Amino acid sequence: MSALDLKLLRDLWRLRGQALAIALVLAAASATYVLAAGVHSSLLRTRDAYYARNHFAEIFAGVTRAPRNIAARIAAVPGVQRAEGNIIQYARLDLPGRIEPVRALVNSVDEAGRTHLNTITLRRGQPPRAGHAGDVVVDESFADANGLDLGSTIDAQIYGHQVALHIVGVGLAPNYIYALAPGDIVPDERRFGILWMGREALEAATNRRGAINAVALTLDRGASESEVIRKVDALLAPYGGTGAYGREDQLSHAFLDSELKQLAAMAAVIPPIFLIVSGFLVYVVLGRTIRTEREQIGLIKAFGYSDWVIGWHYLKFALAIALVAIVAGSLAGIWMGRAMTGLYAQYYRFPFLQYSLSPTVFLSAGALAAGAAGLGAAGGVSTAIRLNPAVAMTPPPPPVYRTGLVERLGQLAGFTAIGEMIVRHIARWPGRSAVTLFGVALSMGLLFATIQFVEASRTMVDDYFARSQRDDLTVTFTEPRNADVLRALAQLPGVLRVEATRALAVRLSRGNRSERTAIEGVDPASTLTARIDSGGEEIALPPAGLMLSRQLADQLHANAGDLVRVDLLGGHRTSLSLPVVRIVDEIIGARAYAPPATIDKLSRDASPAGGALLKIDPAARDRILMRLSAMPVVLGVAERAVALARFQQLIRQNILTMIGFYVSFASAIAIGVVYNSARILFSERAHELATLRVLGYQKREVAVVLLGEIALLVAAAIPLGCVVGYGLAHLMIAMFSSDLFRLPYAATRASYGYAALVILAAAISTALVVARRVGALDMVRVLKARD
Amino acid sequence: MATDAADASSDGPIAFRSVALEKSYETGETSVQALRGVDLAIPLGELLVLLGPSGGGKSTLLNIIGGLDRPTSGQLFYRDTELTALDDRALTRFRRAEVGFIFQFYNLIPSLTAEENVRLVTDIATDPMSPAEALALVGLAERRGHYPAQLSGGEQQRVAVARAIAKRPGVLLCDEPTGALDSATGMRVLEALARAHEELGTTVIIITHNVGIAAMAQRVFHILDGRIARVERNSKPVAPRDIRW
Repeated sequence: MSALDLKLLRDLWRLRGQALAIALVLAAASATYVLAAGVHSSLLRTRDAYYARNHFAEIFAGVTRAPRNIAARIAAVPGVQRAEGNIIQYARLDLPGRIEPVRALVNSVDEAGRTHLNTITLRRGQPPRAGHAGDVVVDESFADANGLDLGSTIDAQIYGHQVALHIVGVGLAPNYIYALAPGDIVPDERRFGILWMGREALEAATNRRGAINAVALTLDRGASESEVIRKVDALLAPYGGTGAYGREDQLSHAFLDSELKQLAAMAAVIPPIFLIVSGFLVYVVLGRTIRTEREQIGLIKAFGYSDWVIGWHYLKFALAIALVAIVAGSLAGIWMGRAMTGLYAQYYRFPFLQYSLSPTVFLSAGALAAGAAGLGAAGGVSTAIRLNPAVAMTPPPPPVYRTGLVERLGQLAGFTAIGEMIVRHIARWPGRSAVTLFGVALSMGLLFATIQFVEASRTMVDDYFARSQRDDLTVTFTEPRNADVLRALAQLPGVLRVEATRALAVRLSRGNRSERTAIEGVDPASTLTARIDSGGEEIALPPAGLMLSRQLADQLHANAGDLVRVDLLGGHRTSLSLPVVRIVDEIIGARAYAPPATIDKLSRDASPAGGALLKIDPAARDRILMRLSAMPVVLGVAERAVALARFQQLIRQNILTMIGFYVSFASAIAIGVVYNSARILFSERAHELATLRVLGYQKREVAVVLLGEIALLVAAAIPLGCVVGYGLAHLMIAMFSSDLFRLPYAATRASYGYAALVILAAAISTALVVARRVGALDMVRVLKARD
Repeated sequence: MATDAADASSDGPIAFRSVALEKSYETGETSVQALRGVDLAIPLGELLVLLGPSGGGKSTLLNIIGGLDRPTSGQLFYRDTELTALDDRALTRFRRAEVGFIFQFYNLIPSLTAEENVRLVTDIATDPMSPAEALALVGLAERRGHYPAQLSGGEQQRVAVARAIAKRPGVLLCDEPTGALDSATGMRVLEALARAHEELGTTVIIITHNVGIAAMAQRVFHILDGRIARVERNSKPVAPRDIRW
């Protein structure tokens, strides 16, 4: 090993505390990147492989009832590669020992027990056999959650028919990676399952002999999706087509896509914060090292070492730190990635989902970390390269202090000499002070934005459930019903109030923009639902016209007062032009609301209830659920309390895991920044601190010089951190919001306080660790040396 | 000059008195004996010079007297207080109240002006003179707003003297105060010290290896190999301007 490399190793060892503090921040950059990009690429590759292998369709369409041969006509549409017609039907399952209704979505398979698109991956067993009417394949999560397996039998009510189902296979399919029951917002595999059943049996059960109610198709390469959708809609219109849609509107795909977007956003937003901070830390520490080694550099150059050898020597210092950070950060990222992938596997049903270690992710993480360290080192390295040996070997000129504005203010404020020392040192090294200031502010901002994330999720739960959904049970009917059903429900003992719900599938258009969505009918007299805006205010529904959620209004470029064309999908295919009377900032989904009269005008039928909201006496819950289960008209029942518990569990698991990571990450920045600035401050001022001790200042008083500067910078960083956090939180909201939900800005003053407290605790404890060195100052030795 | 014992108990009240002071430093595996049994008595208000070659133990003795360092064994008294029995906080209080230090390399705080460097001491002293007054005593009233980097070496050292005397210390300890200065500038510093000695009645101890400076002392300790080898008494100290460098 060359003497210069030995020097490098010993320098690293001597500065190990500071080097490790930088490595900590840089490791956080690598870890967050490996975590987000790694999980993103694992999820994306798994999804794409699954989609390709199982022929996930590209366009989907629902229809009331169409002849089976419509599929062949659709397949003949230019641009369509393959088309398939199926029956997809909700059913109610009666599982032994379960009082609450359990719902299933039953899909048809052909005579050979297969589908050609959205094919089933069988985990065990076999496909439904021809001639065995009750044979079904059950989705794996549902089977596992309910203790079902091959050979189990289930009683089901499909389209009013009682059918005994016999489980012959357990599997899963790419169109149900995220399986959400109607009315639910979190998957509940205990209460909602996917079934696959032989076509003939399902035709018989749903009175659709020779007919289908769903179409799926794939496209030729380069075919226009919108063009094909237009032609498919035209073909299906006579049969009650409800509008074809692409993958972006397919529920499972949309949820997965929103998750992928969030991961991509995380990889794009979070690691750069750490990279910037660590780059600046390298800049400060290496700059200081090179200043103190000025004479050595001159000497080494005088011996005949080239400028570039010296430059490379100091660059290696930065790269060595980066190397440690890359290894440690990647390991941490892998560990966290595994944990997060495990969480995903609970909510997304993949045949295989493993956190796979892609070399690209590691190479990018490494390049980013080395790049940040290298850029940070650039300033110091070029100083070392440019240093003239003759000049370098003479001592540097003393730092020049001038009486500036800050000092005059200090004098006016009657600062003590110690106070002046602190303030002037900050002003003397503005770059370094700025690094400390912004580093701490960024760490606080990151923490604040993460806390806001938790608050936002809590607000979502609070607004969506506690305030906007006040019913205890949401009953869905097998098909829209009239008021008789509502009366029957109201007469059940223990039912306190019944309100009808109705949602119509529509296409809203304005100009050349159009969106598929549902219009929810809202009775102004309703007490069991309310719409809460993102500010937490309850919004009254206008007596006529449409109310749009902000997201939907943005998608349509619609403002209050604009006219929007509404096409009912299916049914009478009514078209109306309705004014937008109000736009509401809502959290969940892109939704539209209209009063019952408008809904009736659109639907033109006498079945105003698609479902019902029930307020019940909790003591009567079990009895009511049993009675509901016995009513053929009831497809399913969602329980508010269960959904609330599920959602809270999701938040706890998923989001709190992330929060845990980010509290550590944000603290890592604060610790890294404060430790480095305190150490540099200490070594720079050791002489002055010793002088103060000689003059009769106690250790505690001397520590004030050290801690005072850090304290001033940290104190200034806190309000700045609030601003940074506010901006970062909004950036995260923008990047994390999807069509499915939009995070509210829900930070409170307490969120600022909590973020500030964590950062203060990290900063104070770190500074105190360094301040302890004041006690060990050797006055005699320090003063013998020339400053 | 007359030769006498290190014991000066017959000369009135005593500022410092030591009994068998020893100091050894452990450096790696070898031990360096810096002081080997020093017994001394320094009368209150006297100007004393410690003379001797480098490595003889002068600075070690001065640092122990000033409470910057502790002896390995032996006792040291300042007036009635046993310094060797004080803990770190009490020693700091002793320095704060009684001791003014002047070093070869000034040890000014570069971020503070001349006046503020003095204020560093007056901020924490009980009955200090004003910084302006202290600077006037060393002839730097005009330069009070200047930063150390804007002052010459001699001026910086005089600021250090002003800083040391501003608290009206009981004792001024000077370690090679003119070591880094030319003779004319050094003389001005010594004049400032002599003036403080006369006007404030402060006990002054100066380390030097410049034999000429010994002429301004009332008493000279010759330090050699960690011991006081010889004590000279000087009944007619000369003024700094008459010193031959």
